[in-house]
Amino acid sequence: MTLFWLVVLPIITALIGYLSHYKRIFILIGIAQLCTVGVAIVTFIQVILYGPMTQALGDYEGSIGINLVADPISSFFVVLTCFLFTAMLLFNYHKSYMNRLFLFLFLTLQGLIIAIFLSNDLFDIYTLLEVSTVVVSILIMYKRDSQSIYDGMVYLLTNLVSMAFFLFGLGYVYKIFGTLDLTAIKAAIPYVENTDTLILPYVFLITAISLKSAIMPLFSWLPRAHGTPSAPSIVSAVLSGIFVKGGVYLFIRFQDTFAMGLDTSYIFILIGFATAVIGFVFALSQTDLKLLLAYSTVSQIGLIVFGLSLESDYSYYGAVYHIMNHAVFKATLFLTAGMIIEEYETRDIRKIKGVFKRMPFIAIITVIAIMGITGAPLFNGSVSKSLIQKGISYQSYLEYGLIFINLGTIITYIKYATILTGDHKKGHRVRWNQKVALSILAFACVLGGLLGQWFVGILFDLNITLSFTDLINKSLVYLVSILIGYTFYKYWYPKIHFFKTIWEVELSFNEIIFSIVFFFGSFLSYLLIIY
Amino acid sequence: MEKIFNGESISILLFLIGVYGLLARRNIIKTVIALAIMQSAIILFFLTINYEDGRIPPIGDVTIHTAVDPVPQALMITAIVIGVAVTAVSLTMFISLYHHYGTTNWLKVINKRRED
Repeated sequence: MTLFWLVVLPIITALIGYLSHYKRIFILIGIAQLCTVGVAIVTFIQVILYGPMTQALGDYEGSIGINLVADPISSFFVVLTCFLFTAMLLFNYHKSYMNRLFLFLFLTLQGLIIAIFLSNDLFDIYTLLEVSTVVVSILIMYKRDSQSIYDGMVYLLTNLVSMAFFLFGLGYVYKIFGTLDLTAIKAAIPYVENTDTLILPYVFLITAISLKSAIMPLFSWLPRAHGTPSAPSIVSAVLSGIFVKGGVYLFIRFQDTFAMGLDTSYIFILIGFATAVIGFVFALSQTDLKLLLAYSTVSQIGLIVFGLSLESDYSYYGAVYHIMNHAVFKATLFLTAGMIIEEYETRDIRKIKGVFKRMPFIAIITVIAIMGITGAPLFNGSVSKSLIQKGISYQSYLEYGLIFINLGTIITYIKYATILTGDHKKGHRVRWNQKVALSILAFACVLGGLLGQWFVGILFDLNITLSFTDLINKSLVYLVSILIGYTFYKYWYPKIHFFKTIWEVELSFNEIIFSIVFFFGSFLSYLLIIY
Repeated sequence: MEKIFNGESISILLFLIGVYGLLARRNIIKTVIALAIMQSAIILFFLTINYEDGRIPPIGDVTIHTAVDPVPQALMITAIVIGVAVTAVSLTMFISLYHHYGTTNWLKVINKRRED
């Protein structure tokens, strides 16, 4: 019964917290949250020891009923979700807007995300995505100022359109297979005589999932939603850290399900690369702290999709490990950015100077997270990035592409790090709960790097050994990239006019819909031509 | 002629009308209406999946050979409920947006937002 409780426990807690008028309800919520974390860890250990668990809801076994499935990857994502939400609650519990309604929405979102990771039924996934879209859009506009209302509205409507595509594709899948269970569909796909019939449902589903995971032409909703000025920073952290990973996780599941019938991995190598490049180009052009982080999320998702499509076990699992690492350091970066914005009362990178002097603790945490995301040796990002690289070490042009993406990330974060230096006098005190939450997250960044080999071994059954010469090599490559990045940022970047013109490019709602239709149409015609 | 105008083709047509509404109309209310049209198209599509003449509704004591497949209908009841809820949420948000900007046009909202 444990899988069932993982989904229901946060939602029941949210309901009780919302309905009760007991003053110290926060303590009860904290205890329930710790229980959820405990259940998640126990499930993870069970899955590692005894193999994947399946639970049929409503006692209809097999593909007739609705199944929850926990395999090593999904159960680890569940642990990660619980861990991040606990850290967020601890980080923010003293804030005035943390009232019962906010907690209700926030904890419900946790249950929904866990359910997305565990669910094995297509219609279930549809319902969960639809409900989480509504919850997220309310969380985005929670502070009710005019900018975030527009952002929330665009987020809601574009995602509803993508879910309409999803439901249409689901109808075709049901028409062909007579079932909505992903395992059963995967088993039935090799027996489909005419793979042409699979193209239409596949394109419908993958369009919706591509929008959810924000890949190339469909990412324009993401920076607005994740970096909206007034959204609470824990909402941005959760959205960028774990919620968008739900979309990427579904992308993995769907590619895996349809791989026998339609193989599209090579086109997603291109799309992933383009997403990564466009992501960091836009990130470089931003002057807003939160928007820079949001566009950097787009870039990292491009890297993840790129790694997933390379058809090498090392790259594949490296990309999956990068999803988890990105969740940790991007959440850390959003939280610290929120505190910096609060302290300086501006979001403009050019106006924030001297964070090291003014907020030393926050600056150290930021540096650790930046080391993680740029892949410094011994930090978690380096493990996943070197795994992706290991899978393609025999194809030089792909390896150059990867180095190029990483160089872009480094330049982006050199720009971000300019806020740290400079002179400033006043000191700043950090509350104990924020200190604890940030320390835990930063510690996770370091731990993911030091214990990276062990984690990869347990989660994916991969053996990687890292010799001392490798470490020296990597440190050298990293230092050289930093040097090139710094030279570029210092001397060429101010001269390139291009970056100053694109920073305020923003698609209107109709243009976003056009990009969806364009993606759908071009993908469909491409598949029809080659099959 | 009956073969061409079946549930599937009509629903695809309705779906495309909905997509056209989303693409070409700048009115936010019409956007919500276009979404509702797309949802109706999907409901029609599901209900006509594997449709055959002469089948009876799966209510009461019927043998498997004569009843229609009940699963799409059960799914669509859920989808209708979700659709109603989602339409209500988007209209509520629209009211809030209208109070702030005083317009129903996407482009005008963007322009006013830039001025802020």
